[in-house]
Amino acid sequence: MHPRRRFLRASGLLAAGAALGQSSLARAADAVAGTTGAKGITLPFANGERELVAYPQKRPLIRLTARPPQLETPFSVFNDGVLTPNDAFFVRYHLSDIPTSIDLSTFRLRVRGKVANELSLSLDELKRLATPVDLVAVNQCSGNSRGFFTPRVNGGQLGHGAMGCARWTGVPLRALLEKAGVAAGARQVAFDGLDRAPLPGTPDFVKALDLDHALDGEVMLAWGMNGADLPVLNGYPLRLVVPGYFGTYWIKHVHDIEVLDRDFSGFWQATAYRMPDTPHHAIAPGTAPKKTVPIARFTIRSFITSHAEGATLPAGREARVRGIAFDSGHGIREVAFSGDGGRTWRAATLGADQGRYGFREWTIPFTPAARGPHTLMARALNRLGESQPLEPLWNPAGYARNVVEPVRIEAV
Amino acid sequence: MKRPLLPALAITLGVAALLAADAQPRVVSITLPTETARLADSPLPGAALATALCSTCHSSDYVLTQPPASSRAYWKNTVIKMQKTFGAPIPDTAIDPLTDYLVKLYGAERAAAK
Repeated sequence: MHPRRRFLRASGLLAAGAALGQSSLARAADAVAGTTGAKGITLPFANGERELVAYPQKRPLIRLTARPPQLETPFSVFNDGVLTPNDAFFVRYHLSDIPTSIDLSTFRLRVRGKVANELSLSLDELKRLATPVDLVAVNQCSGNSRGFFTPRVNGGQLGHGAMGCARWTGVPLRALLEKAGVAAGARQVAFDGLDRAPLPGTPDFVKALDLDHALDGEVMLAWGMNGADLPVLNGYPLRLVVPGYFGTYWIKHVHDIEVLDRDFSGFWQATAYRMPDTPHHAIAPGTAPKKTVPIARFTIRSFITSHAEGATLPAGREARVRGIAFDSGHGIREVAFSGDGGRTWRAATLGADQGRYGFREWTIPFTPAARGPHTLMARALNRLGESQPLEPLWNPAGYARNVVEPVRIEAV
Repeated sequence: MKRPLLPALAITLGVAALLAADAQPRVVSITLPTETARLADSPLPGAALATALCSTCHSSDYVLTQPPASSRAYWKNTVIKMQKTFGAPIPDTAIDPLTDYLVKLYGAERAAAK
């Protein structure tokens, strides 16, 4: 039996009697996976108690907020495969007037601004605009793992579950912009979705990309996710896919595209979602940045998914450790694994390459020689030579965490 | 004479629209689960203000899930951000009572934190 599964079953029995009040992510995650009727999960940081709630088209997910919905994927899902199922994919909104009924007979995607031809297309018309393309790509919230920042920072207190990898189907944004005919002097392209604020004075959630980025042929208007329509809460009927970039740019329910001859100055780009303009966007913990820039590409990350914190392994017997790694699209070159807290490292075997924007599976055999605690670590390296820090970097918004995440197991 | 025909015509058109819509449904609707998080009662004057003002735009879990050590300065800046940046109708006179309630119930001045 797979060690993870054995652990799930064992702790599931334990968790059935005492699902609440556990501080270990391992036990909490297994309460999700191993028992039915569990209503809660405890993320492993102070004030980390969360409900598990099944939203429409979703399995029970970790609810951060109800209005608007913000749902996190239970971490055990990431061990099931490199494509995150649609019903487990995380949900993140900013403003609470979200679309709950969408009529394709009236839905239109508008393209306006500095273009030769303004467009208003139905979804069917958009689908016929160009040959559809598929792309496997990770989407990750800027604040994924924010709850682990030390010192803590305010904002959505997420574990590691505000990420996912899907096969997106759509047309390149470039095809749409070419049909509209971008005018000379255009600088940026702004994207708005159907989600709005309940008050008129709240800044609408609009994000922009530089024109050359919007025209790179990879940024996509996607209607398909893992071979099905987008779930409503993931942006049905159409969302922007910005490979390698944080989820803040992946506008859901996108219905309005404006080509601008200036840099977009809306709140969510000019004030929010900013990173310190320093090397690695890091500053001394607890301080404020002098200058900021908009958040952009993912940092490189890796996770151990086969063994949760607190798992037990038989001493002296070979186990197979498994995990995932991803970066912003340069591609994972190597994942190093340590079974001794970072003293020695070995190269893991990489799984099938689903494309440079996706999760990359890795596996490695590991035999805990002696009984007692062992600290497992994974550290990814990409084709640019970028890797993960061993000590956490800090920024005041709690974005882009990518420190090596140790997992402590017990050999018995 | 024509009036009795209209409902029948509408039904016919509705059926035709359904048949014309191939595999793809034309309307997709969802119903969201109910909120469960609630701001705690308190004799502090900010309690009623928080329930009335904060819940206009978002559920209470936005408040309840913040780190327990969240400072008075954080909560005050957040109330002001809601008022000034997000356009919430928070009177100036409510800023201090709201801050006091939030930091004492959900921040660094919680009874449990002392």
